[in-house]
Amino acid sequence: MSRKDQVFDITIIGGGPIGLFTAFYAGMRQLSVKMIESLPQLGGQLSALYPEKYIYDIAGFPKIRAQQLIHNLKAQMEQFTPTICLEQSVEHIEKQFNGIFQLTTNTEAHYSKAIIITTGNGAFKPKKLQIEGIEKYEGRNLYYFIDDLNKFAGQQVVIFGGGDSAVDWALMLEPIAKHVTLVHRRETFRAHEQSVEKLKNSTVEVVTPFAPVELIGVDEIEQVVLEEVRGTRKMTIDTDAVIVNYGFASSLGSIKNWGLEIENNSIVVNSRLATNIEGIFAAGDICTYEGKIKLIATGFGEAPIAVSSAKVYIDPTADMQALHSTSLMKGKTI
Amino acid sequence: MKYTIVNKETCIACGACNDVAPEIFGHDVKGNSHVILDNNQGTTAVPEKLYDDLEDAYEGCPSESIKIANEAFYGNAEKFD
Repeated sequence: MSRKDQVFDITIIGGGPIGLFTAFYAGMRQLSVKMIESLPQLGGQLSALYPEKYIYDIAGFPKIRAQQLIHNLKAQMEQFTPTICLEQSVEHIEKQFNGIFQLTTNTEAHYSKAIIITTGNGAFKPKKLQIEGIEKYEGRNLYYFIDDLNKFAGQQVVIFGGGDSAVDWALMLEPIAKHVTLVHRRETFRAHEQSVEKLKNSTVEVVTPFAPVELIGVDEIEQVVLEEVRGTRKMTIDTDAVIVNYGFASSLGSIKNWGLEIENNSIVVNSRLATNIEGIFAAGDICTYEGKIKLIATGFGEAPIAVSSAKVYIDPTADMQALHSTSLMKGKTI
Repeated sequence: MKYTIVNKETCIACGACNDVAPEIFGHDVKGNSHVILDNNQGTTAVPEKLYDDLEDAYEGCPSESIKIANEAFYGNAEKFD
């Protein structure tokens, strides 16, 4: 059997905090794990929307920054070896005649004995530029995420956006790129004061209050046309790469079409976190039951229940209750 | 005149609007965002000096729960959908 067709014990849909902890716990219960995440990064809302914010209701942490929590959860998960698939959205789930689930994403098919859905408020996708015909530049020199700064070495880069990430990206690229232009539609930036101060003292060219109205180029973007917001001035600038940082949009997406019982945009589960489809479980903000509270803390409690329920589903002779982690992890080094 | 309201049915309580437009948006007892100008009724015109903040919040909302219109909403976030 080729690796592509490997059947995993559990496939976790959604790489936010609850998905990460679910992956850890499943690893500890000796299950093979695959994780599918729609963004090019793990961490869900915490990384995408408020990485710098403090969270005060995580057991054992008087306070912890969202991104630090994700960092810790990843380290905890990586004590095992889950297979992580980024930038894939599950579009279709089908239970095959042999009981194995086939999960079809926008790019490939995955196979799993059980599924745990931890999608929170749905799949996050970067908000796109609202300019007609820009799709042809995607995958070429139009970016919504940066994974490798060196790709932009010696290039003339234009960044759109006014938040923390846009400013951070501009500053990170400043020493690598030939020239960085940051375009924002208002005079002031929402980013941290400290970053804005750094920006002022950098060589990054700041163009405000302007917004992009046209991208010019045959296969790749060669020029961007900017127009003054509430004004008439226009300017055209040459570019080798365009990076857009307009935040994220979430949506429940295709989950509604998988035959699951949905109530107020949440998946109905029982006390074992089982959905109405045998073999599919849900944990975290996406699931609902009587008395449900939408908190990371609650999701962390739900993860072991969902994993253990899935384990018993896969192997009916297995125990719902696992040994304590002190026994299970004996000999493991972190 | 511009009015705004948060659709609490779709708000995911991420707090993004509170950050960029704290003079317009706060949160209710459940943690969902709401307009503090009029207890999320969409009946008080947003002061013009806050228009840029309002637009930031509108654009930054990941669930498109912030609604803006030139007329009052009278508590109905879906009035102009």
